[in-house]
Amino acid sequence: MTEHVEAKSPALADELLGIVQAVEGVSAVYPAQPLWQSIAGAAVAAVTGEQLPLISLAEEDGVVAVKARIGVGSLLPAPQVAREVAAAIRRHLGNVPAVVEVLVAKIDA
Amino acid sequence: MKTPGDALECGHSLAELSAYLDTGEIADPAHLDSCPECQAGLASLRRLSELGNELLTADVADAGSGSDDWMQTILDNLRLELRPGRSIPLRAADPQDTLWETEGSVSALIRSVADSFPGTAAGKCRLLGDITVPGAGITVEVEIAVVYGHAMEERAAALRNELAKVLEVQTELNIQAINITVTDVLELPAPAMTPNKPGMTPNKEDQP
Repeated sequence: MTEHVEAKSPALADELLGIVQAVEGVSAVYPAQPLWQSIAGAAVAAVTGEQLPLISLAEEDGVVAVKARIGVGSLLPAPQVAREVAAAIRRHLGNVPAVVEVLVAKIDA
Repeated sequence: MKTPGDALECGHSLAELSAYLDTGEIADPAHLDSCPECQAGLASLRRLSELGNELLTADVADAGSGSDDWMQTILDNLRLELRPGRSIPLRAADPQDTLWETEGSVSALIRSVADSFPGTAAGKCRLLGDITVPGAGITVEVEIAVVYGHAMEERAAALRNELAKVLEVQTELNIQAINITVTDVLELPAPAMTPNKPGMTPNKEDQP
């Protein structure tokens, strides 16, 4: 990750969180990297009480990697909602080269 | 991070979630807001509790055939299916995007649909086939326990139709078959006998 993006990441992650939450059909946004999978993150959170960003951001060779883990309500098809989330993230990033990963972790009946 | 065999990936167990439903207490309540697997587990345990109410007994495990085998089977499957499992690919509009559904989210959806039928509790819910390959033929296997008095064939047919509709909308799986198996018929406990009626002395051995 470059220093430039690392510095901007928390703000960008918060912006993207708002973008994702605003997508119709999204019922929840879960930590992209579950805390129990990140020993360092768990340690930091345990000490500081600080929550890790729900949207995961990384950058490599000028390409931003975005990861979101979502819950989906019952009114819209989950695959459609996942595509809308990815599209909304891309719209927000504009021309920034990006790879977007969206994981549907919960589907309401 | 390794977790014990009886725990979900997040480290919590069904016993902890059940205790939380009973007492409202758990070590890290904020975790429940951020864990889809715990949320699905709580929902399933609530529905099992509702079924217990339908069985008109405080101890649902004492109902049915007189053993708690059916309940244990449901809990064993629940424990397994609450894990995220395999990743099911979804079509992406942009080739640089990767979209997935977790196997656990689909299993929980199937379980939720089955449990929504009155007097029905889902046991095993399995997706058979290579769900990680788009278009691969998938068979859905669902085992259910049904409270006595509900027509089993009608129940199975209705559930199959509903699952087909829901899965077509909420997944991109190529479902080739949905097999419903009724594994348990749960008998309602016999109504309490009125002691002052002649010849109706309550006798546990006479009850089903």
